Amino acid sequence: MSRLQELNFFAKLGAAFALMIVAWLMPDWRWGLPFAALILLLLWVARVPKLGGYLKGAALLTLMVIISWMINLLLQGLAPVAALAVAAKMAARLVATTALFYFVMETSTPGAILAACSRARLPAVATLILSLLFGMIPMLRDEFERIADAQRARGMEIDDVSFLRKLRFALARGVPLLVQAIRTAHAISFSLTLYGFDLSRKRTTWRDVGLMVEPRMTWPERAAAPIRAD
Amino acid sequence: MLLSAHSLTLGFGTSEPLLHEVDLDLQSGQRLMICGATGSGKTSLLMALSGVIPKITAPGHYAGTVTLDGEDIATIGADALFARVGYVAQAAEDQLWDLSVEDIIAFPLENRAVPRDEVRARIRFLMEHLELTELAGRRVLTLSGGERRMVVLAAALASRPRLLVLDEPTTGLDPAARQRLCRALEQAADDVSGVVISEQDPTHLASLTDTLVLISGGTLSRMQPLAPALEDAAQWRDAGLLAPCRSPARRAVPTPGKELLSVTGLRTRLTRASGKPVLDELNLSLKAGEVLGVIGRNGAGKTTLMKSLLGLIPVAAGEICLSGQPARDWTTARRARSIAYVPQSMRQILFHMTVAEEVAFARSMGRGTEETAAVLTRYGLEGQEETNPFALSSRQQGQLGLACAEASGAAIAIVDEPLLARDLAGRGLLETFLERMTSRGRAVMLISHDLELIDDVATRLVIVGEGHLPYDGSLAEGWTSTAFGALGWPAPAAKPRETAA
Repeated sequence: MSRLQELNFFAKLGAAFALMIVAWLMPDWRWGLPFAALILLLLWVARVPKLGGYLKGAALLTLMVIISWMINLLLQGLAPVAALAVAAKMAARLVATTALFYFVMETSTPGAILAACSRARLPAVATLILSLLFGMIPMLRDEFERIADAQRARGMEIDDVSFLRKLRFALARGVPLLVQAIRTAHAISFSLTLYGFDLSRKRTTWRDVGLMVEPRMTWPERAAAPIRAD
Repeated sequence: MLLSAHSLTLGFGTSEPLLHEVDLDLQSGQRLMICGATGSGKTSLLMALSGVIPKITAPGHYAGTVTLDGEDIATIGADALFARVGYVAQAAEDQLWDLSVEDIIAFPLENRAVPRDEVRARIRFLMEHLELTELAGRRVLTLSGGERRMVVLAAALASRPRLLVLDEPTTGLDPAARQRLCRALEQAADDVSGVVISEQDPTHLASLTDTLVLISGGTLSRMQPLAPALEDAAQWRDAGLLAPCRSPARRAVPTPGKELLSVTGLRTRLTRASGKPVLDELNLSLKAGEVLGVIGRNGAGKTTLMKSLLGLIPVAAGEICLSGQPARDWTTARRARSIAYVPQSMRQILFHMTVAEEVAFARSMGRGTEETAAVLTRYGLEGQEETNPFALSSRQQGQLGLACAEASGAAIAIVDEPLLARDLAGRGLLETFLERMTSRGRAVMLISHDLELIDDVATRLVIVGEGHLPYDGSLAEGWTSTAFGALGWPAPAAKPRETAA
């Protein structure tokens, strides 16, 4: 997994785009579904973090896509089997696409993205957008989990309850999540100004960037950092 | 003159300005400490002196001038200004996002297109001199509060500023981290022309600064030498602060009541890099009427202990009993009806739209019966019932945390690093909370790096270290124990104190 994290962001992004195009070129569900399953298998083999959470979301998304396409096509007069085949093809495309970009997102830190963009001499605005786009989502997801822990710690039973109550409590996390998202946006904006970020100036990077991106500075005498509990 | 403020007036929409006609001069080579109570305007003053106001944040009212090397900061471009001024905010999180330690330190240089070799050399220098090499490659959001602060300090020094402005840099640091910060600042201060630091307790960084200004009522006191000012208790009290030299006021040790919490042979699933559990064979008891002070190094396992009690992390072995009932299999929510949790940052646990709803929710989760308005008034939040909790200041959110903990009626409250207790008013609120909890057969577990606070208000001390509690007993013996000696921290008994009352 760590080697995948060190792989240049653009290499991963390029591979994801290429595979996504393949997924969308699959002629029907008989090709599309196995291909989507293969992508998921690759993510599992690569031990992409929090894959279980993604799979739950993907399952929900697949269900919604199939239902909405079925309703749409049946209303247009298509036979149920034919409608199901189309819906399955669309769901397979969607799963493959989201899985590939989930892989890129989970294996790319904002720092590594900044480094890859800076090394590629991209304009500062593109650097910023890519870093935020792929960096903010995992950060907000972690925050969502922290808020759930806080709800539990204040006595809110959010695990051993019905789906509807779970959904209601999940929605209650929206307020602090929104506040945190705003705070994060403020922190980023504050640090960009304080640390001299300028849209008209191309950045440099301290990292050695090639196909792989240097993950850390090394000191020969430095031992492995211990896990900190606090 | 390195830095000057003339007739500086700042306001944030209230009728009275927060700072009124403030004048201040800092010579090149001078190191100034600004002390004041929470809400006195320290942060606003530092933001104005560093140029964060008005360059990044615009107050409702801004008048007067601030000059750096004779140049009005309002006329200097933000990029050029912040290359000359290093600023560390009180909440270091406000300057961080999800980057690695090296990324944060390099950020000001990379943004200014400094060549790679030069950036790397500067990162190496700063990480070595600030003792940060152990943190190489770590993502800053996974670091402790103290570690984050050191990283932000390194970033502030990266572009070799003329002026260094630090807002309460020792907040939340354990004594060892404070000493390390002090050493780092002493080295760093040699490379900058001037340093301005704000603090509530001046003793932490007394060796670093030579001049003091007290801030209260929107104005500054005269500039005075720091050392003799530390002995003048009256002027600290007048500024709403606990005097650095004050008489002892240790809390009376109560006759312990019934056992509210019992932990036996606790072992966590969470392990260290060595494979050893973070907590192992840990035994702990908490009885009604007690205020248990919990101390330990960063990373010793204090947070892990607290999370284990709350059920937020799984335990591998051991028993946890709440009021005599085995609670190991209880959900976190069920435990929370017996344990109220007040974190350092209340933002983490607020999720209602009004203050009154937060208190009502706390009451509904426990056995509390008191009216919301009465609880809020006790903790200085009268008239805030309909305010959105996220619109409160950090200090007020801390007050709300105490109000919710009391309103819940939970038998035990875990209070994690109560930063509001650093001035007289906040200390008074915390003492009210402790008194009401303990006098009603409840108990408090107080986790803090502020040894003076622990010594003042706790009735018993435990030290977390090596996976268990190497010391559990009275405060007086605790400060002279082998376990405390192993921490290498100065004992609070070396400095007499007095109460907030």
